[in-house]
Amino acid sequence: MAGISVVVEWAIVGLAFGSTLVGGYVGYQAYRGYRRHDSRAMRALSLGLVLLTTVAFGIAFGGSVLLRQGYLALDYQPALTLVTRSLQFLGVILIAYSLHSRV
Amino acid sequence: MSEEPGLGAVLDVLSDEYAREILAATSVKPMSAQQLAEACEMSEPTVYRRIERLREYDLLGERTEIRDDGNHHSVYTATLSELSVELDEGTFEATVQRRDTASFPGQQEDDTADRFASMWENL
Repeated sequence: MAGISVVVEWAIVGLAFGSTLVGGYVGYQAYRGYRRHDSRAMRALSLGLVLLTTVAFGIAFGGSVLLRQGYLALDYQPALTLVTRSLQFLGVILIAYSLHSRV
Repeated sequence: MSEEPGLGAVLDVLSDEYAREILAATSVKPMSAQQLAEACEMSEPTVYRRIERLREYDLLGERTEIRDDGNHHSVYTATLSELSVELDEGTFEATVQRRDTASFPGQQEDDTADRFASMWENL
């Protein structure tokens, strides 16, 4: 039984990492679109995507490692979750903004 | 380049003011027959007759759009981009240049970022 839970845990980490990579790739293409067309919509989209995927995951993952290793007191966990969720929220706000930005 | 139908026939279609108005309007953006009737101030039967003739000579592209309520309707885009007529050594040479009608903005772009930017900005 212990073996299964380890596999599940690794699958979760792997999938989260995969989402981050793919999200980062889409964000990178949006950033290139912004550079090539000097488009504010694409800038907001790329920022939003990177915040939503790479940054949020990076902070959540880094935080959970620090918590597990005991570098961070467990009291910080809610704060860490709050930061992650705030960044994700900012990300979707930026994407919504980019949908309506006509420049 | 497809094989050209007779020059006379194409000139005949284009000599019609209504047909030219439809081409002019649909060269800006895809439009449905109803929108064309409103924009060009013609009756719908008039629009449909012209559309049929323009389609016959492949000067107008058609595609089906599906709306949120599930209704389908056709929208039209001008495919004609240039018609040139050359007279040389006793013969008329006509060339019709057509544009590809992309089904979404930026479809022709090779670069992913260009396609992405074009699509996203035109949502």
